[in-house]
Amino acid sequence: MAGAKKGLVLLDFWVSPFGQRCRIALAEKGIPYEYSEQELLGAKSDLLLRSNPVHKKIPVLLHDGRPVCESLVILNYLEEAFPDASPKLLPADDAYARAQARFWAAYSDKVYEVGTRLWKLKGEPQAQARAEIVQVLRNLDGELGERSFFGGEAFGFVDVALVPFVPWLPSYERYGEFSVEGIAPRLAAWARRCAERDSVAKSFHPPEKVDEFINLLKKTYGIE
Amino acid sequence: MEKSSSENAIPPAAAPLKLFGSWASSYTHRVQLALRLKGLEFDYVEEDLGNKSAELLRHNPVHKKVPVLVHGGRALPESDIILQYLDDAWPETRQLLPADAFDRALARFWCHFADDKLGPAVGAVFASTGEDQGAAVRQVHDNLALLEAELRDGAFRGRRFFGGDEVGLLDIVLGCGSYWLAVFEDVTGVRLVDADAFPRFHAWLRDFEALDEVRETIPAVDRLLEYARGLRHMLLGLAGAAAAPSSDAGPTAAAAPAAAAADIAVDI
Repeated sequence: MAGAKKGLVLLDFWVSPFGQRCRIALAEKGIPYEYSEQELLGAKSDLLLRSNPVHKKIPVLLHDGRPVCESLVILNYLEEAFPDASPKLLPADDAYARAQARFWAAYSDKVYEVGTRLWKLKGEPQAQARAEIVQVLRNLDGELGERSFFGGEAFGFVDVALVPFVPWLPSYERYGEFSVEGIAPRLAAWARRCAERDSVAKSFHPPEKVDEFINLLKKTYGIE
Repeated sequence: MEKSSSENAIPPAAAPLKLFGSWASSYTHRVQLALRLKGLEFDYVEEDLGNKSAELLRHNPVHKKVPVLVHGGRALPESDIILQYLDDAWPETRQLLPADAFDRALARFWCHFADDKLGPAVGAVFASTGEDQGAAVRQVHDNLALLEAELRDGAFRGRRFFGGDEVGLLDIVLGCGSYWLAVFEDVTGVRLVDADAFPRFHAWLRDFEALDEVRETIPAVDRLLEYARGLRHMLLGLAGAAAAPSSDAGPTAAAAPAAAAADIAVDI
């Protein structure tokens, strides 16, 4: 692309867990990039609208000016476009393990999807969301089992995909009146283990900030 | 999915393939088509979605849906994951995803678009009437316009198929569902793919449907029509019941036909 900025630019929003997936993967792999904070609640930038005309959402990874959109697409892209960067987040030579990783990474989206319904809704629909998120967390706990990470011994694709939702869990716990420690203790231990990693710690915002942001969104949507 | 332990041997590519599916499910058709395109033999098990087998539920405990592909005893759910698995496990067969990393990202992006935006929009046209349907039709047209633009002067310009000269992952995902467009047009009386408004999409769909492997995979149109008529009748009947006054009936009752539709998999 003529005149396009060389290298990597990540269009992102500070509290976005989907953006954090990309930041964590880039940090784990030691790939340099420029972070570009986007205005989302006000007017979106021309660059964002041009780069993701279909959804107008972040994250967008610009590589020499060419946009890659959607967090899991970006994670796969980083694996494939930077084959020499290590660690590999997906197992290189086990097709079934790769498929499992893709399945659980996609499944992890449900934490945010259902969690959002939990704080947006009231009454019966909220109760339904609560039941669902408890099931989702139990499923994730079961899949993790006794392993250190979803990737096995090493922090991998599913860990990167899921860990950004950890700072949102205290809010979900409050709205849903449950405790992750109580319903998914192995997942809770995994969350603490991941938070010790540099790449994760550096991208995280404290749960209080996340909760503040949820309140801001509620005001914006006119929710009590 | 079953956990794979390092002690389990990776099944040889030659290990048997068994596909659990449903004859009207476009997601099932995706996998059948991909297997045919790759020349891979498989056994097929037709699932009664109203009475799912214990074996299916064992293989897909999280989502309990078709399709599920079982390879050497190990289960793979979710059509888009199955298709990528087929590329990975049989690298010597024709690859569904392109080789270039950026092109792969584009294919994946538009596959999500098909599943998250276009598919549900078409489903909404099918499950509604009147003004609601009008709004849903506009949504479908907006989505088709985006694809038309990519074919005209965007990422896929000048190509016969989204995959290039031959069909690839995106063709399979979009195609195995797009045949429903004509069926829905017939059943609802609503025009969705206007050849004048979407000439390239229309041409692509025609070329896709003409392929031998596609004709072997997609059921006869009269069967699809019969099925679709019955389903729309049921969906509209349930929606009518949900419209009855009751503060709680709304969201949960409306969710029931949507859930039924998703399960029966009238999806793009």
